[in-house]
Amino acid sequence: MATASDKIRRARPLLGTFVEIEVTGAAKSAMNTAIDAAFEAVAWVHRLMSFHEPDSDVSRLNREAFVRPINVHDWTYQVLQAAVEMHRRSNGMFDIAVAPELQAMGLLPGANDQNPIDAEARAFDPIELLEGQKVRFRQANVGIDLGGIAKGFAVDRALEVLRGFGAAGGIVNAGGDLAVFGEAPQAVHIRHPRDPRRLICSVEITDGALASTARRFDPFQSADTASSAIIDPVRRRPAPAIDGATVRASSCMTADALTKIVMIAGTDATELLEHYNANALLISTDGDVQITPDWHHAVYLAA
Amino acid sequence: MTQWVRYTLPAAAIVSVASPAYAMQYLSIEEAQKQAFPSATHFTEVQAGRVWKAEAGGRVAGFFIFDRVIGKHLYIDYAVALTPSGGVHAVEILQYRESYGGEIRSPSWLAQFVGKNSGSSLKINGDIRNIAGATLSSTHITEGVKRVLAAYGNRLR
Repeated sequence: MATASDKIRRARPLLGTFVEIEVTGAAKSAMNTAIDAAFEAVAWVHRLMSFHEPDSDVSRLNREAFVRPINVHDWTYQVLQAAVEMHRRSNGMFDIAVAPELQAMGLLPGANDQNPIDAEARAFDPIELLEGQKVRFRQANVGIDLGGIAKGFAVDRALEVLRGFGAAGGIVNAGGDLAVFGEAPQAVHIRHPRDPRRLICSVEITDGALASTARRFDPFQSADTASSAIIDPVRRRPAPAIDGATVRASSCMTADALTKIVMIAGTDATELLEHYNANALLISTDGDVQITPDWHHAVYLAA
Repeated sequence: MTQWVRYTLPAAAIVSVASPAYAMQYLSIEEAQKQAFPSATHFTEVQAGRVWKAEAGGRVAGFFIFDRVIGKHLYIDYAVALTPSGGVHAVEILQYRESYGGEIRSPSWLAQFVGKNSGSSLKINGDIRNIAGATLSSTHITEGVKRVLAAYGNRLR
């Protein structure tokens, strides 16, 4: 059955979704070894940053970081640095400390027995990054969830592994958050947020990352959409008016985090997108598609 | 400040009849077996089309179980590789089918994405291979693996 081919694509269930990895332009055995190592990098990010795994860095921080500084893995520290910077630059719109709200909504397990802190009583920046990869929370009852950024980081690490194996090209797609490298442009089709069976457009991408966020739906239950899992940290409730957002950036971590801001800020996110050298496409509740001006040449709409 | 470009989607882009249409083939059963147990010299079928024993030099290297989960919009073939002691060694997706509008594979449907705005044409022709948007949950696979472990984890040792 093993035929000579210059391309291998495989998929595994990881990060609560399907992670798909493709490599091109190397010997078959080398490509399979690279894909195995890339899947391992994704699994490692999951073990470090899962809210659900009791031994993850995130769970250790949520249990103890208010009591004492906690030492975390270099990768976790990098993600926290990026998240804290994104939080500051977006004036709090990007916020990893919304775990108590997500728990209260039933979107994360284990509702806090103590009440979440009032929005007013909460410090703007409760996460303190210390020397030597140590992290401390400035307030009690702070709960972080890296669900809005860690998937993008996992994609970046997997792509880095593929590059390290000297493949000509590759793509890592973690349930829609993806990154590509190599000469050949890739076409990515974006689902319609209100009807996941429909594809709304095709986006062309070369050497870069693309992340998407949409209102929540469960493809096994129904195509009907439920409310978004994006919380507006200022109003502490689900963000309105936009059904879906897709962001292109040089890293998938940045693209992943920026989708959350675009879902809340819409076209007001322009300045921040420019700062991160990113482009965006958003689908508003009235069905209109809006694209940042320097990017529409790469977007092909279904019509 | 520069303006975002706004497009209004026609109703046709939103309404469609759903039918199984999009399929992604990753690995065949044989390829997945070799991938899970590279040192294995042969695979003995223990249960037809479903369970194989991997052997390397006369020793049991592990077991390979083929399974399928079916949801409302997704059909997924996957394989669980078990260690000789019945633990999960790897889970690999073999094939993935999604229901989209039935026209999705037709050349005319694919052609609709070409040159819709700035006049440049899409450099890549052919298939829909990369899909983004709302994340799909892999919960059914997780449940499937639990079921496989309950059914075979102890029995195959």
